[in-house]
Amino acid sequence: MPDKTTLTFTPVIGIEIHIHLKTKSKVFCSCSADYTNDEPNSHICPVCMGLPGSMPVLNKAVVQQGMLAGMALNCTVQPTTYFFRKCYFYPDLPKNYQITQSDLPIAANGWLEIDDDAGNPKKIRINRLHLEEDAGKLHHSAADGRLEGAETSWVDYNRSGLPLAEIVSEPDVSSAREAVEYVTALRRRVRYAGASDADLEKGMMRFDANVSVKCSDGRWGRRVEVKNMNSFRALERAIEYEIKRQSKVLAEGGEVLQETRHWNDAKGTTTASRVKEFYRKFIVEPDLPPLVVSPQWVEEVRGMLPEMPNEKALRYKEMGLSEVDAGVLADSIDVAQYFEACVAAGANPLRAGNWVRTEVLRAVNDKQVGVTDLAVKPDTLAELIRRIDEGKLSTTLAKNVFEGLLEGLSLDEAVKKSGAAEGGVDANALENLVRATIEANPDVIGEIRSGKDTKGKKVKFLQGLVMRETKGQARPDEVAAAIESAIENLK
Amino acid sequence: MMELYELGVREIVEGIREKRFSALEVFDECLGRALACEGKVSALITATADTGRAHARQIDGYVAKGEPLGPLAGVPVILKDNICTHGIRTTAGSRILGRWAPPYSATVWDLLSSAGAVLLGKSNMDEFAMGNTCGTSAFGPTANPWDVSRVPGGSSGGSAASVAAGYVPFALGSDTGGSIRQPASYCGIFGLKPTYGLVSRYGLIAYGSSLDQIGPFTRSVEDMELIMHVLARHDPKDSTSVDKSEIDFTRRESKGEKPLKGKRVALVKEFQDFTLDPPIADAIKRLIRIFEEMGAEIAQVSLPTVARYAVACYYAIAASEAHTNLARFDGVRYGYTVTTAAGLRDMFEEVRSKGFGAEVKSRIIAGTCLTEPVRSEEYYVAATRVRTLIAEEFRKAFENVDCILQPVTPSLPGKIGESDEDAMKGYESDLYTLPVNMAGLPGFSFCTGYSDSGLPVGLQLVGPRWSDKNLLNMGFELEKVLGAPKIARGGN
Amino acid sequence: MKLGSDDVRAIAAEARLSLTDTELAGAVRYINNFLDMVDRFKELDLKNVEPFCFAETNVCPLREDLPAAFTRSEEILADRADGTGAFFKVPRIMEE
Repeated sequence: MPDKTTLTFTPVIGIEIHIHLKTKSKVFCSCSADYTNDEPNSHICPVCMGLPGSMPVLNKAVVQQGMLAGMALNCTVQPTTYFFRKCYFYPDLPKNYQITQSDLPIAANGWLEIDDDAGNPKKIRINRLHLEEDAGKLHHSAADGRLEGAETSWVDYNRSGLPLAEIVSEPDVSSAREAVEYVTALRRRVRYAGASDADLEKGMMRFDANVSVKCSDGRWGRRVEVKNMNSFRALERAIEYEIKRQSKVLAEGGEVLQETRHWNDAKGTTTASRVKEFYRKFIVEPDLPPLVVSPQWVEEVRGMLPEMPNEKALRYKEMGLSEVDAGVLADSIDVAQYFEACVAAGANPLRAGNWVRTEVLRAVNDKQVGVTDLAVKPDTLAELIRRIDEGKLSTTLAKNVFEGLLEGLSLDEAVKKSGAAEGGVDANALENLVRATIEANPDVIGEIRSGKDTKGKKVKFLQGLVMRETKGQARPDEVAAAIESAIENLK
Repeated sequence: MMELYELGVREIVEGIREKRFSALEVFDECLGRALACEGKVSALITATADTGRAHARQIDGYVAKGEPLGPLAGVPVILKDNICTHGIRTTAGSRILGRWAPPYSATVWDLLSSAGAVLLGKSNMDEFAMGNTCGTSAFGPTANPWDVSRVPGGSSGGSAASVAAGYVPFALGSDTGGSIRQPASYCGIFGLKPTYGLVSRYGLIAYGSSLDQIGPFTRSVEDMELIMHVLARHDPKDSTSVDKSEIDFTRRESKGEKPLKGKRVALVKEFQDFTLDPPIADAIKRLIRIFEEMGAEIAQVSLPTVARYAVACYYAIAASEAHTNLARFDGVRYGYTVTTAAGLRDMFEEVRSKGFGAEVKSRIIAGTCLTEPVRSEEYYVAATRVRTLIAEEFRKAFENVDCILQPVTPSLPGKIGESDEDAMKGYESDLYTLPVNMAGLPGFSFCTGYSDSGLPVGLQLVGPRWSDKNLLNMGFELEKVLGAPKIARGGN
Repeated sequence: MKLGSDDVRAIAAEARLSLTDTELAGAVRYINNFLDMVDRFKELDLKNVEPFCFAETNVCPLREDLPAAFTRSEEILADRADGTGAFFKVPRIMEE
């Protein structure tokens, strides 16, 4: 019996991710791929129902999206690839085989960089990205939400034939945290590429994990495939659970069996499946000749690939943005594009970054809309920022103006509504106002002049008074300068 | 005076155009002929009298109004029952499809019906096209109209028998390993297995998808050209369909006294060691003389890999593809089903065990076995490699010759109910037909005449890919010498 | 290596076929004869031979991404044994 106390266990994890590729129609037929709010079995045809005699015809957009996703994951696009029939019986699979590229994929040999648990950069290698069709959806009448024990199941084939990319990593992941970071980064990149919306709530992204552990005494557990994780949290919990379970088995001198286990999210456990996944077999899909992509097409698609989030964040930092701001802005391509449009329209990058990260994202969050749906367009925000820079609006007032813009007002209307006069406060008026304020507060001036205001609090106080008088239309820096110069003149 | 049912495609089309008879008259005469023979021949699974008559009346309406007519306007046709016909029961000769009426039509039926052809029925076939006698059909056997105690061949036996007996001037079948050419030969008519990719497979209930091809049965080569002119169309719904619109089946160069001068017709060296029924061996000798008289040169090609490995290779690939094509029949979405099963697995097993016949089950088991992960490389993948050798051997052979003349079968049709104890022996008899499918080649089966016992004796021409028209052109010349196929008595 | 009854029964189960004893005996004979036939491949050196999968079409045609609904999906639904509601009904799934 090994001494349990001294044993340590090293997890070895590979992740398989299924994402829905973003297209208008299904992968092998012309049924609409958008069925979110439609009746069950309303998007079906002879092909996606596997009717006798029907034949698949490959959707060009699926190939293109697959290439884009592959490029976003630093994969090499393969010039000639094949489709196979992966055979297993299941009622959500109309032909009882799935058409899949399997291990002769459209894209291969990629990688993503994440931070390991010690905070050091680490590459997760991606074995391949292959194209395949999705199955229908099973609903069941069991009370606890599990298939097991259900008296009857119901099949909806609307999802059958939706285009999927399966992305298979090498076993380079070492912890549940790394797994989550990997899938988060991957999701961000495929969304960036426009290849997938990867909306987890809509089931557009699903995870399986191959988990094994190595014991410090040299023993290895066999590889266990854990299936059925539909959220980052489920992926994290399932991996944590499996590492613990397998480590315990090894610690007790047992053997970890090669098997497929299903994650039960409600119970927080994995259970062995009776289906022998590794038993599934393949023949070449005789109805689909080899998929050939020309070098020209590959280059054309490469040209469509936008700058990726890491590269964007790096560039934003070079523009002077903080690491946090750069990261937040680059997280979603829509936000990044909004920010970049702002800068392109002449806004100061630092101020634009700040505005987008705070006001714009807050509005997006409050209104629960996409940044592209916001009433304030980037060029308007840029103009607002320009007016702040030119001293025509204070930051405080600009925020009021921004609220007006969110309601759909034009910039001029919003400015008017906020009460700010166009053009700020002219220098003479400001000088008079400063003089009056100083005269009205002799004791404060006294303290300043006696040198007690080491932290500048009193000056700030006066500044606030002046700003209030101008209804926020003056530029704070100009006000501060005017006050200092007026006090200087008193000396 | 000829009966209307004895007319060919061209004669019917012209007669209707010239208002010598109506489409409905033709249809009713053909239907009458079919009903007169069906008791003995049983070529049909479904007769489509009502929809066919309605369609014929519609054609007559066009004629009356002088509207433009399609190239096959008013020609009755029978389709093998693995070709999907919208709203009309399509069974593939199996119980498992139940009373399935497809919600869509095969491309070939779309093409024929828009050309004006009128459906008379769906023909009997070996279940899922697996067989060469029509004896594995769940609907019982079909008889050879030349001798109703004998098989018509298969799997497209119903289509062949119906054309031979005069139900219709043409019918469609499908050929995966000889299923058009062999019954055409047994029934004494013309049958063409086109080059793979020339005719759309969309809507053909698949057996071996990389081998299957739809083709016509006719009683004249000219009719076959008319049908191929309609069928040989690129179909975007079939990803293996090829655009060969440059082939014009309706044009034929005028020929002189030696119409095949310059053509090289080959015999296969290895096949000469195999035993043939005397009438078939005699037919080959006779054809060699005829070819020489028409100016062709007789050559020899060697196909050793074909001769030794084609049968094994064919059955390995066909079974491997078939077991996946037939996986979809599980009772959930369409066809035969059971409602009493306790669980899903029970339901699948009950539906499939009761729904499929013995031969189909055997081949599903074979396909499952050969593609098991532990055996796949050794058998399934090996078969695909052997197939490369076979295709390559044919390619080389056709560098020097225009076509190959060879038997369709080693023997004349056998008695209904006779079968080999060892199925593999039966499979060996397909040696002359199935290599053609392995390489995707066209094969043209024609009637050379009749044996002393009154059975038709057929042979076939095999050419390189896309030589379909050349084969038909040779067939046209042969038909002039051999005479057109006769209509069989059909048990009457 | 000859396959026995248990092997063939397992293969049949994989294909979702249950066989009677007579059928099983026939299937064992059939499959062993079949394997004898395909064992011929072992005479050949296939190491450098590419698999043949497609007769002529060696480039997969691609379809434009234009959605078009199948207008007769009702007819597909009409084929269900249990035609109630919008779903296809299947019995209890016991595999998992």
